[in-house]
Amino acid sequence: MLLNVAYFSSSSCFKQVTCGLVIGAALFLSPPLYAASCCGGGSASSLVLPKFFTQMFAGSFNFEQYDGFWNTDGIYTEDPPGSDLNQYRLNLGYGHRLAPNWQASVVAPYVWNNNTYSGLESNTSGLGDMSLSLWYETFDQIMCVYDVRELEDLMPAVYLGTSLTLPTGKSPYGSGVSNSFDITGRGFYRLDANLLLDKTIWPWTMIAEFAYGVHLERPVNQEYGRYVEPYDKQLGNRRFGLISLGYTAFLEELDTLTFTLAYSDLKEDLGTINGATDPTSGMRKKSFTFTTAYSTPAKDWVVKGSVNHSPAKNDWGRNFPVTNIFAIELIHVIP
Amino acid sequence: MSFRSYLLVLFMLALTGCDDLDPSSEDKRPPVDETTIGASVGQIAPDYSLFDTLGNPVTMSAELTGASGIVMYYTMWCPICDSHMSHMRSQIIPDFPNVKFFIIDYVSGTVELSREAQLSNGYADLTVLVDNTQEVLTLYQATMGTTVVIDGAGTVRMNEDYKDGTKLAGTLASLP
Repeated sequence: MLLNVAYFSSSSCFKQVTCGLVIGAALFLSPPLYAASCCGGGSASSLVLPKFFTQMFAGSFNFEQYDGFWNTDGIYTEDPPGSDLNQYRLNLGYGHRLAPNWQASVVAPYVWNNNTYSGLESNTSGLGDMSLSLWYETFDQIMCVYDVRELEDLMPAVYLGTSLTLPTGKSPYGSGVSNSFDITGRGFYRLDANLLLDKTIWPWTMIAEFAYGVHLERPVNQEYGRYVEPYDKQLGNRRFGLISLGYTAFLEELDTLTFTLAYSDLKEDLGTINGATDPTSGMRKKSFTFTTAYSTPAKDWVVKGSVNHSPAKNDWGRNFPVTNIFAIELIHVIP
Repeated sequence: MSFRSYLLVLFMLALTGCDDLDPSSEDKRPPVDETTIGASVGQIAPDYSLFDTLGNPVTMSAELTGASGIVMYYTMWCPICDSHMSHMRSQIIPDFPNVKFFIIDYVSGTVELSREAQLSNGYADLTVLVDNTQEVLTLYQATMGTTVVIDGAGTVRMNEDYKDGTKLAGTLASLP
C-alpha cells in the first residue's frame, strides 16, 4: 500500500492519500485569505477517507512564515523593516464513511498569530473557520494499477464533493475583536464544489483537483468591535486548481515513503459592498508544495511533512501575502 | 458518552460562541454626545501631534486651518492597506484638493523605518505620520484600514474601515 499526502497553502490545504488497495484523499479546503498578521484568518481542510475505510483522524501543525506580499498590481513588496510575522495553526479533522460511496468530514483549526514589528508586538489566538465536507466516490473499486493492460486501467478515481466553510473564527465583523491582530477567520459562509481526480500507476501518482467556491452575502453592522452603519458585503467567488505528481518507494517492511510535488493556483474574484463591486478586494496566489509522507505497513498510520512555497517575485500573486508554510501531520485511519 | 457525541458537543459549543454565524443588519450605533471629545462620528476630534517621515512636526488642529477637512488612514503596510491606499490615491485624492490626506503608520516604530517602508511600498508622494507609540491609534480606536474624516470645524465625520472608498468619497463630498 502506498500513501501520499500533500499540503497546500495558507489559504487552502490539500491532502491526498493513496493506498495500494485503498485510496483516500484529503482535499481542498478553503480558507481564509487574508490570513494572519495584517488581515487575519486560519485555515482548515477537508479530509477524504480512503476507500473501504470507515473513520479517519488527522491532526496537523502548521507554521506559516510571512515574507512580504504582492500588491494589487502583482508587484512583490517587502514587509516593513524589522517585522517578523508568523502564524501557527493546529488543525484537527475527523472523517466518517456514511455509505460505501459516501463520506463526510469536519475540520477545526485553532490559530495563533504572532506578529512583531519594530514598533509593535502582538500575540493572539482563537478558533479558526471550520469546514464540513460531503464526498461521493464515483467508483466502486480501487483504481490503482501496477500495469496498464487495457484502456480501463487508465481510469482515474473521481471524487465529487461539496464543502461548507463556517465563520467560526474571529472576524473583523464579529464581537470580541478590537483590532486586526485578533483575526482568525473571514466571517463568511462559503460553499465549494470540489472535483478530485486521482490516478496511481505504481509507483507514480497523479492528481488533479479543482474547486469553485461561492461566498454568501452577509450583513455587517460592526467592524473591529465598533458599530457602524449597516451594509451588505460579499466576498468574490473562488477558483482553485492543483496538479501533483508523486513517487512512492516501498521499504523493507512494506512500509512506504512517498514524495510529492504539487503546483496550485488560487484566485478570488472581486467582492461587492451593497451590491457594488469592491475594487480593493480579490486576490491570487500560485505556489508549490513538496511533501514527504511515511506510512506504516498496515497503512493505518501516516506521518508527513511538507513545505509550501510561493516565489517572492512579481506576478506570482496579487493582493495577498507571500508565505512559506511548514507542516507536520499525523493521520490515523480505521478500517 | 461516545466519541461522536463528544465531537457533536464540541462542535455545538464552537458554533454558539460565534456571532458571525448569525450576522445582524441592525443599526446598533450608540447615541453620541456631540459636546464631548472622542473618536465617534459627531464627537469633537481629539487633537494630536506627530512627526512625518521627513521629520516635520504635524499638529492636527493646525492642519485643519484653511482646509475643508483631513483624512487619516491607518496602515501597517499590508496587502489590504496597499489596496486601499492605492485606490485612495488614484480615485479619491484628486477629487478633493482642499482636503489633507495623512497615512498613519503605527507599526514601524521610528521615523527612519517608517520612511523606508513608505518608499519601498511606493508612497513617497503621500504624507506619512509616524505614530510610534500608537497614541493616535488608541485615541481614534483605530486598526488596520481605519479611515477617519475630520471636518474643518474639528468634528469627526467618519471613523470606519475604508472598504471600497465609497463611504469616504461620500463623506468628503458632504463637507462644507
